[in-house]
Amino acid sequence: MNCVELQASLAEMEDGSRAEHLAHLQAHLKTCPACSALVAELNLIASSAAQLRSCDEPSPRVWNSLEIALRQEGLIRPQRASRSRLSSFHTPALASKWMRWMVPVAAALLLAAGIYVRQNSAPHQVAMVAPAVHDLQGNSQDDIQLAGLNDDDLMQEVAQQSPALRAEYTESLRRVNEYIQDAKNVVALNPNDEDAHRSLMEAYQQKAMLFELALDRSMQ
Amino acid sequence: MTDPEQRKASDPNEAELIERAKHGDAWAFQALYDKHKRRVYSLCLRMTSNTAEAEDLAQEAFLQLFRKIGTFRGESAFSTWLHRLSVNVVLMHLRKKSLPVVSLDETQAGTEEDAPKKDFGADDLALAGSIDRLQLQRAVADLPPGYRTIFVLHDVEGYEHNEIATLVGCSIGNSKSQLHKARMKLRELLKMQRAEKAEEPESRR
Repeated sequence: MNCVELQASLAEMEDGSRAEHLAHLQAHLKTCPACSALVAELNLIASSAAQLRSCDEPSPRVWNSLEIALRQEGLIRPQRASRSRLSSFHTPALASKWMRWMVPVAAALLLAAGIYVRQNSAPHQVAMVAPAVHDLQGNSQDDIQLAGLNDDDLMQEVAQQSPALRAEYTESLRRVNEYIQDAKNVVALNPNDEDAHRSLMEAYQQKAMLFELALDRSMQ
Repeated sequence: MTDPEQRKASDPNEAELIERAKHGDAWAFQALYDKHKRRVYSLCLRMTSNTAEAEDLAQEAFLQLFRKIGTFRGESAFSTWLHRLSVNVVLMHLRKKSLPVVSLDETQAGTEEDAPKKDFGADDLALAGSIDRLQLQRAVADLPPGYRTIFVLHDVEGYEHNEIATLVGCSIGNSKSQLHKARMKLRELLKMQRAEKAEEPESRR
């Protein structure tokens, strides 16, 4: 077997199915450093390929778009009456009309869910409700901090009621907070962009849904 | 795919998620998505070498899957079902774009160009030890579409040649031939990358 014959046979033998040719192949490889290096390098490429599996992460927009589609097709079904109001946000005509003032409303929903959790998990604590609501109306800078405080209360509730899901909620909270922050940054740069406001509203909605899910579990 | 982990039945947690998704549970859908998104998206990205296209295709694959989730009975692994669907979504997309899914040079005999190159013995350019993932990603992205499809399906995703032949509509022999040529091309691309990297410090002097 020479070098050309060896390379010609590599394609057929790559899955090791032609054992009778292996002896000839091995004999040539022992005497030919060039072909030996070639085979070693091809094997290295093949064995390295698996590191490309599952190595990339899609952007959050993939899930966001997917979720919207699932809701529109009725595959995600409202679990409680309050969610039917949220689903109406996806009606294009209404969404464009309510866009700017629905963002603080969605944030207030989030705050209300957090207050409920705080009252149930720490009865001796006093929720800072009034100044927080005013802040949300006029200055959205504090809502993330408020959301952060509510996050702690939520996680405390999850730890008590559904400890097995703590890791999932932690990760989901992290992602949705990132989503909110990214959306707020876009709104800050493009204050007249309806799509940017819509994205921010959807981000708050997602967080509100996360709280609702946790509350659902608590009440069950 | 003959990966044993792919062929076992869905694990109990996933089975619960599937049942909840069948009843419209948003959390279950998202949990299933989170569990499999990297695998699906990476497959789409490797096959298309385009981030936006890969995201659209990943979304489409999951959407098709979730539409059919009510029919999933658990006879095979959920991941196998999802993966096969994802591959079909990508291949359909490539066909629509009139991109060659597999090269048609099955009967082409080996030429001088296919003979072992004289430079592959250069020690400083030899591929030894391990291959950097980013370099390999870049090289795969530079492959011709037909070679890339076969390489991704076989070496990256683990499909056998008989499965690939069915998926892409070629013969087993063609699949083997394309795979070998893909690996040879990758070898060439990786060596070029290393040569470029080795020359960089000299050009800045």
